[in-house]
Amino acid sequence: MTGDNVDRRSFLSAAGTATAVGIAGCASFEGPAEESGNGTTTGDGDRTLVVGTYGAFIDAPSTSPGAWLKDAFEAETGAELVWQTPPNGLNYYIERHNAGVDVEADLYLGLNPDDMVQIDENVDGDLFAEAGDVEGRDDVKSGLDFDPNDRAVPYDTGYISLVYDGTAMEAPETFEGLLEEDHRGDLIAQTPGSDTGRAFLLHTIHEFGVGGDYDYLDYWADLQVNDVRVLGTWSDAYDAWSAGEAPMVVSYSTDQVFAAQSDANLEEHQIRFLNDQGYANPEGMATFADAADPDLAREFMSFVLRPDVQGEIAQRNVQFPATETAELPDDYADLAHEPPEPVTFTYADLQGSLDGWIDDWERQFAGDD
Amino acid sequence: MNVPASLLALGDRIRRRLEGHALAALAIPTVLVLAVVFYYPVTTVLIEAVVVDGTPTLATFRRTLQDPFYFGDLARLLAGESPEVVLQNLLSADRQLGIVGFTAYQAALSTLASVALGLPGAYLLARFEFPGRRVLRSVTILPFVLPSIMVAAGFVATFGRTGTLNAVLTAVGLPRLELLYTIEAIVIAHAFYNAPLVTRVTTAAWESVDASAVETARSLGASPLRAFVDVVAPQVYPAVLLGAALSFVFTFGSFPIVLALGGFELATVEVFVYRLVRDLEYAEAAALALVELAISLTLLYGYLRYEAAHTVRSRGARPLPRRSLRPPSGLRTGSLRELLPRAGLAVYVLVAAIVFLAPIASMVWASLTGPTGITLDHYRFLVERQQTGAAFQVRPWDAVRNSLLFGLAALAVALPMGVVVSVLTTREYRGRKLVDAVAMAPLAVSGIVVGLGLLRGLVFGVEIAGTRIAVGGAVAIVAAHAVAGYPFVVRTVAPGLESLDRSLTESARALGASRLRALLDVELPLVWPGVVAGAAFAFAISTGEFSATVVLATGTDQYTMPIAIERFIGRRLGPATAMGVVLLFVTTASFVVIDRLGGDHGGI
Repeated sequence: MTGDNVDRRSFLSAAGTATAVGIAGCASFEGPAEESGNGTTTGDGDRTLVVGTYGAFIDAPSTSPGAWLKDAFEAETGAELVWQTPPNGLNYYIERHNAGVDVEADLYLGLNPDDMVQIDENVDGDLFAEAGDVEGRDDVKSGLDFDPNDRAVPYDTGYISLVYDGTAMEAPETFEGLLEEDHRGDLIAQTPGSDTGRAFLLHTIHEFGVGGDYDYLDYWADLQVNDVRVLGTWSDAYDAWSAGEAPMVVSYSTDQVFAAQSDANLEEHQIRFLNDQGYANPEGMATFADAADPDLAREFMSFVLRPDVQGEIAQRNVQFPATETAELPDDYADLAHEPPEPVTFTYADLQGSLDGWIDDWERQFAGDD
Repeated sequence: MNVPASLLALGDRIRRRLEGHALAALAIPTVLVLAVVFYYPVTTVLIEAVVVDGTPTLATFRRTLQDPFYFGDLARLLAGESPEVVLQNLLSADRQLGIVGFTAYQAALSTLASVALGLPGAYLLARFEFPGRRVLRSVTILPFVLPSIMVAAGFVATFGRTGTLNAVLTAVGLPRLELLYTIEAIVIAHAFYNAPLVTRVTTAAWESVDASAVETARSLGASPLRAFVDVVAPQVYPAVLLGAALSFVFTFGSFPIVLALGGFELATVEVFVYRLVRDLEYAEAAALALVELAISLTLLYGYLRYEAAHTVRSRGARPLPRRSLRPPSGLRTGSLRELLPRAGLAVYVLVAAIVFLAPIASMVWASLTGPTGITLDHYRFLVERQQTGAAFQVRPWDAVRNSLLFGLAALAVALPMGVVVSVLTTREYRGRKLVDAVAMAPLAVSGIVVGLGLLRGLVFGVEIAGTRIAVGGAVAIVAAHAVAGYPFVVRTVAPGLESLDRSLTESARALGASRLRALLDVELPLVWPGVVAGAAFAFAISTGEFSATVVLATGTDQYTMPIAIERFIGRRLGPATAMGVVLLFVTTASFVVIDRLGGDHGGI
């Protein structure tokens, strides 16, 4: 695996020099940036900040912070904020960078810790720049910082937990509890190709370790014997769970916020933090190394970290704020649950190991044996 | 107005000259479009399997082929173990198929199921007359355009633990079925997608069977069965095999539906291509995609050889008369022969209702229900998003409009492309079936690879003389859709052209018609059912396409219905299913219109 990555890096550097430089503006494609090109300009038009993010941040059917954030930032700074939501998210910018094509965005919003590891293992040169002097940076909870190279600044976090139907069962309190005969076939999880599935897998690695007498692979072998379902996407899993295929699903600890919005019975949407732990999935933002307006990008990052904005983003993204100083309504914790003990892997833990962990798990779980 | 005769003659000469070269003139843009929006982009990705560090190497490729995880016992053969030992292993109980072997295995089962479920449908549609027959034939390919997320949701609601089927079974005192997360669930879902394909192509072939040939056989004393076996079946076989070959190719490359209804234990090759691309492990992903492509193309090539070798020459198509579905009354002798097929069809209709209608019905039902009961909230959401959505959000009507426009444009491009390639591959020359197989490659390449290739090859563009030339937006989307859809046109038109008696075109040409005239006035009308079926497929492929569209769209104003559905997936599937129902209605109406415009295939 590592060998591949080395090969890949050097290949890309060769390809990069061959195709480098200059974009002629004549060509038709200017990225999803064109989306808000006409009619929506509220700023002075002089300064534009192009922000890449994932679709649900600006266009979820329930609630998403994108529209509010754009309006608030534009009203305050007079600059224009343009959202880009390329189909393959961050990989789109990595591809552009690797192909030697201008990245055409100033900032990316929605980085996970494993993204940073992957970038550093697979990308030539610098995709992102150091955050530099961002006001409010010190307010970020220390446990959430995930980039030792100080590029990514966390702006919110989610916790992965079990969601279960309390009218049908009482969920076990420990990882071992999931192996009990009583809970055979009770759990639906997702592949590491999805954020929730990856976080759950990492949580089991955090709990059982790698290579010991009984490591995460042994645990998963037992889990598989106990008929755990591993489906493709979070949507597949959540839909199957909603339809009653199994009473427990790996999901987010903010599940009750959504449930309350649709007047569902909260008894059917109970949260369980196994071993009293929740795997933290912090989301960060970082400025692209060749951002056209890095100062404006920094201004945006400071804006996002401001206490009132932190509160708004958390509520609209149905996540938890990244800073100590965020302003949230008192009753927010009634429905959005935080684990007694948040756990997560640091960049250093994941570096050089993540690919192998996932690979070994896949080979065991889907292999012939 | 008087026009001098000499001018008329000149005009005539120019017209003839143009017509004479029209086929060549159409062939060039066809090849160009294929090269720009398919072969070049796909190559930028696949090449990573064999070019590492700028130099060609087979190391990664070989490592992948020798990996038992992917190739099971076969990998050991490729790693140099003796064939005898490997064969023994394969025959023993603890044989290892590997991911590729398992993928082929489930694809073979899915193909059998698709043919078994598709054939009776073709029999019903081609041989019987009943109210609504034409509409039913028009909408057979509907499942083809449904996004996997909707189908998965429909299947969970139908075949799940507490699904409709189990509710019915327990109500009549039968034991419940645990269908989900088994290979059976995958096979049924694959049949849901591909049986309609078998039905559609077989129906088109059956409708092209010349009634006079059957009548001749009967008048020479052949029994109805004999006439069927000797005259009808040979003309229908190739279509059935085509349906089977395509079913195999599509289910071999299947991915989201496998994970949604089978789970990761039943993962297919494409699941790994996706995961590897996501994690930027391109060399291994490309190697797997190449293997996928090789297997699928080999199969298609085998089919094409068969198709060419089993062409039945015919002179035209006066379709067989259809029978009434209602059994003739007052029958005594031979009544069993009249009743049996109809009884069989009744059973078939019941099974088809469970497999096709129930999941679609539960999709519609899901769009009308929420946690508190029946609601129009999800449709209200669509209206609200249309009225108040920001410019960077997907708006439902825009998506509908774009889907229709792209679909029509793709149809208009795919039809001539398909006809041109059909003509070129039905001429006599060495290796033409190889050309044909290569022309079918858009059916066989991993969708994930196509998406990534379009990103690299078109969206990022290439630099020529210091200027970066990139292609994106509506034109590129239409071209990509046309490339994805045109193989269907070829496959539904070419067999008909091949089977036409050459003397027909020869006489037309001898009478002074240009090649194009002969094609338009003589050949195409004779294979018209195939043309219309191909057109319907081209439109269906376009309206269902996701991965290329989302890459090539330069903004929300170019998003189509499948993209809107994907965007509207939230914690509850309600809004997405509502959009799915919109897609259902829009495409149903479109298919009916296309078939109506195509005319009832009376032939000549």
